[in-house]
Amino acid sequence: MQTAIMIVANYPLYIRSVPTQGELKFHYTVHTSLDVVEEKISGVGKALADQRELYLGLLYPTEDYKVYGYMTNSKVKFVIVVDSSNTSLRDNEIRSMFRKLHNSFTDVMCNPFYNPGDPIQSKAFDSIVSTMMVQAF
Amino acid sequence: MSVPDYMQCAEDHQTVLVVVQPMGIVPEDQFFRIYKRISSVSQVSIRDSQRVLFIRYRHHYPPENNEWGDFQTHRKVVGLISVTSCNTAKEWPQTSDRFHGQKEVFGSTLYDSRLLVFGLQGEVAEQQRTDVAFYPSYDDCPDVEKRVEDFVESIFIVLESKRLDRATDKSGDKLQLLCVPFEKKDFVGLDTDSRHYKKRCQGRMRKHVGDLCLQAGMLQDALVHYHMAVELLRSVNDFLWLGAALEGLCSASVIFHYPGGTSGKSGARKPGVSSAADAGKRHRPGALTTNAISADTSTEIGRAKNCLSQEDIIEKYKEAISNYGKYKSAGVIELEACIKAVRVLAIQKRAMEASEFLQNAVYINLGQLSEEEKIQRYSVLSELYELIGFHRKSAFFKRVAAMQCVAPTIPEPGWKACYKLLLETLPGYSLSLDPKDFSKGTHRGWAAVQLRLLHELVYASRRMGNPGLSVRHLSFLLQTMLDFLSDQEKKEVTQSLENYTSKCPGGMEVISLPDGLKLPPVPFTKLPIVRSVSLLNLPASLRPHKVKGLLGQGMSSASPFIYSPITMHSRGDERSKKIGEYFNLVTLMSFNCLQIISSVCYYGTFLNMIFANVAGYHTSVFGVSSDCLLEGLVGVKSSGCMVEVVPSLPRLQLCTSLPRSAHLSSEDLSTSVSLQLFNGETQQLTITLENIGTEMLNTLELTSKTLSTKEKLFGEFLTWDLQDALSHLPLKSGQSVSIPVNISAKLDFSGQENLLHDLNDDGISVTGLPVSSPLRQVLKPRAENKPDMTEGQRTLEAVLTFKYSGGAGEVEGYYRELSLGVRVDVEPSVFFTRVSTLPATSTRQCHLLLDVFNSTEHELTLSAKNNQDLVLHASECQRMAIQVDKFDFDSIPVMDHDALRLATVRQQEEKRQQVQGGLINSTLDIHWTIISFTKGSCPDKTASVEGVLNQLILEHLQLAPLQWDVVVNGEPCDCDMIADCRVGDAVPLEVKLTNRSKSAVGPFSLTVIPFQDYQNGVQNYDLQDAITFIGSNTFYMGTVNPTENSVCVGALLFLYTGDFYLNIKFQDDSTARDLPPAWFCLPSIHIRAQEPIQAAA
Repeated sequence: MQTAIMIVANYPLYIRSVPTQGELKFHYTVHTSLDVVEEKISGVGKALADQRELYLGLLYPTEDYKVYGYMTNSKVKFVIVVDSSNTSLRDNEIRSMFRKLHNSFTDVMCNPFYNPGDPIQSKAFDSIVSTMMVQAF
Repeated sequence: MSVPDYMQCAEDHQTVLVVVQPMGIVPEDQFFRIYKRISSVSQVSIRDSQRVLFIRYRHHYPPENNEWGDFQTHRKVVGLISVTSCNTAKEWPQTSDRFHGQKEVFGSTLYDSRLLVFGLQGEVAEQQRTDVAFYPSYDDCPDVEKRVEDFVESIFIVLESKRLDRATDKSGDKLQLLCVPFEKKDFVGLDTDSRHYKKRCQGRMRKHVGDLCLQAGMLQDALVHYHMAVELLRSVNDFLWLGAALEGLCSASVIFHYPGGTSGKSGARKPGVSSAADAGKRHRPGALTTNAISADTSTEIGRAKNCLSQEDIIEKYKEAISNYGKYKSAGVIELEACIKAVRVLAIQKRAMEASEFLQNAVYINLGQLSEEEKIQRYSVLSELYELIGFHRKSAFFKRVAAMQCVAPTIPEPGWKACYKLLLETLPGYSLSLDPKDFSKGTHRGWAAVQLRLLHELVYASRRMGNPGLSVRHLSFLLQTMLDFLSDQEKKEVTQSLENYTSKCPGGMEVISLPDGLKLPPVPFTKLPIVRSVSLLNLPASLRPHKVKGLLGQGMSSASPFIYSPITMHSRGDERSKKIGEYFNLVTLMSFNCLQIISSVCYYGTFLNMIFANVAGYHTSVFGVSSDCLLEGLVGVKSSGCMVEVVPSLPRLQLCTSLPRSAHLSSEDLSTSVSLQLFNGETQQLTITLENIGTEMLNTLELTSKTLSTKEKLFGEFLTWDLQDALSHLPLKSGQSVSIPVNISAKLDFSGQENLLHDLNDDGISVTGLPVSSPLRQVLKPRAENKPDMTEGQRTLEAVLTFKYSGGAGEVEGYYRELSLGVRVDVEPSVFFTRVSTLPATSTRQCHLLLDVFNSTEHELTLSAKNNQDLVLHASECQRMAIQVDKFDFDSIPVMDHDALRLATVRQQEEKRQQVQGGLINSTLDIHWTIISFTKGSCPDKTASVEGVLNQLILEHLQLAPLQWDVVVNGEPCDCDMIADCRVGDAVPLEVKLTNRSKSAVGPFSLTVIPFQDYQNGVQNYDLQDAITFIGSNTFYMGTVNPTENSVCVGALLFLYTGDFYLNIKFQDDSTARDLPPAWFCLPSIHIRAQEPIQAAA
């Protein structure tokens, strides 16, 4: 089952995909999904309460994948790509996954040796993503 | 129906379709000129009404699409304009027939048709026909537009009549069932009398009338009809037509809400149209009443309600599309509806919903599409995504379209189209083709996908047959994406770049594409990475020097300004370097892990002939030559350096007969040689100078400088003869000249300093007894001296400097210097371990005793003037005695002008000693030869005693300034002369003093003491019985002025025969105290007294 988790700040900070050899495909998928993210956050007339919601929901479904988005207040986007055939994952599960990701991402950011904008190379973050992928998919 | 019209938009529902077709052979360009003129008549205001008819022209329309004309009337071809060439009247009937044939294709739906005939003149052309227009040529057809307008009006009349016909046709007559092509067989055998069937017919007819109303410009009526149709069709579950009715409703509402159109093409609708439409709206009430279309038409209040709100439009579109989706054969209709909805949403700026429609459109399967259709489809999707602001998605589909152009299934891949499409995707991936956009700050965009796109661009441009372009793209990739490439990828990219550049080297020119796109050059500022830039001086051999006397003058005349900021700048902190025809800027480079072969040189702009600004550097990496400006470099602060430019000078290359060696301590040497010599050895060095520059060599000077050394050097270290070389000047380019230089190493030969002290202690023996024969004796070297003798090598260093000039640079007063370092390791040869003098028998001569030590490992022979050779074995020490005439140093001019200038007395003294030493040395002329090395041409090696001579010895070797002559019996007494005299005779004794010193001496008193020497060490002074003095035995000598002499005379009387000696002693100690004892060195007098008979015999 093909899945991917990507963290993006206009360019990728972190990518993890299963299987790894199809990474470029996910690059394209996530890259184009940024259009939707942009559209969602620039949405006019959105209430203030809405803006506090970081979960962006299903960005778009394609034939093969469902693409979910999440954006932190610092405009860093988390994108999870799930195989369309995976029906076990509901919105709530995805939402909690994003929350977990966000927590460990915050930990990465708190590392004084991490330079914001650099690709994430944290073992702790890696292992959290790994367990998440094993559990979820 | 399988061919979608991707350009459709909602307002196309309002138009009538007219096909314009060429007939027979019509030149393409001419046809499209006419087509353009025809299609300019896109809307026609109908006389006597407020209505406007919109026309859609097509030059190609598949007849199968025409069959859907009943479903949506704007798909129906209602007009046909044929364009044909006809040159002779003979062809006319045939042309006419063909026109009829063409009409038949769309025959069932055509309202009217026209034939435009070009080229025909004469009576045929003069006939007046409404459906045919004759023009003499394509250029001469002024009233085409007018004709078309008339044509449109005639269509309108038909349309209007049909509309009225259908609209009022709601009597009890049986209604015709309108259907789409694929439905036809479904309705065979259906009960036509059922209520359900009737409703279906009614509903479809309503919808059809709605279409006609919309086309005829009656928007409100259309809305009403559509509403009714929707209701009717919904009740009978006629989904396809329900969809069409809903779409019609949407279209009409869109036209109402957006009079400017949704296609996004400005000018598609003339500005006047909207006002006309507005006018239409305003006058609608009147129009309605006058036309008396239908009783069912609502009142004015209902009309606003009929029109859908903006929200509702989308809802209805969705419904329509979902209804269409139920029919596989209506895929094209569904797709087009999606596109139309997207355009509407784009105007409403509801991108998210639009994207959903598009997403749906992507999945609509139209069956087998040709490659061309696929490309078209993806391109349209890309444009639509662009329209709703999804640039990335747009770029994605454009890229897919590009890839489709070169799909493997296509027999002739369209690389050009592919490339063009790929270029259009660049903005979507935040890419530009200007490397400057990527030189600062963090990388922009998504590197993984950018990389892919750039690779595709490279490949496409190569397949297009434009290698220059692919080199440029690949260079760009390498320069901007370097940080994102893995080592393996770097290797691959650079390898392919090298492959490309082997055929088409990359340069710095801007590449212009035919469509006007310009690709700026890509300098490799990251390959290599420049860390710092600083001006370095030229190598010493190339550095130009200014002739000192000309410096001030040259500077002032070089600048026409009294104050020149440039000159100031060059003298300022930024150190400027003079340069010849060569630039030499050195940068610290840090190369990447790649193996890069690069040549680096620098370029700049010449501000004038005197200064140049070095603004960048030029590299050639992987076959791409790039000019990198220093300004743009990351991490380099410098923005350029000022360099002074000097006219060109000749350039000499130096080679020597001896092999080159490592450098000497000094750095400014262009080359250096080193050699090993024994102390005292001389070797010749031939220096060849070749003019490798372009300028002619005019002047050449040679100077040498011995570098300060602890060692005391005797004689000239380097000697040369430049005459022969100078006779060859001027030296043309490529010519060479040789100069022989003699290198002679003559260092101190003294063994050890404390030996000289020993001699001083020996002072007495020096002035001691005369030794009649020089003693030759083998001495063992003293144990404690030995380590010093074999002490390590001593080195001598000197620099030969060639100053040369010529060409334009000489005029300006510049010259170049070429320096050759010479380093000589001097190995010890012979040492003089001990030097002493012994008085010779003559007061004018003395013996110089030299203890010579052979410190080499070879057997050598030593020879001095008039002496026989002395053979010395390795580490052997022997004494050598040389009889020399004493020197009269006063007669040699010690003081030349240079010496007089020397400051201190001490220096003068040293100088004098040096000259004296030289004189002694040349007189002694001591040579040594290593026997085993002896060859025919091998010159003798000399040894110099200069170093070992000290003041004491010099004094002994000097002729005393007071010259004493003793004459006995009329014969001068000196050496071993024996004066004969007779017993009993008075022997006259004369002592003569000649003063050659510079001051007066005296007075002296001399006492003559006779004695007998028994040759056994016993001397008998008791001779009162044997010798009688006639007169006093003491003489008095008055003061003697310089150059004068004084004589005192006495006499002796010998009473017995025998050998007697006379010792003349000075009594006055006070005078002797002032003057050195050597000055009072009188010859010893030996007198043999004989019997008179004996003497006579």
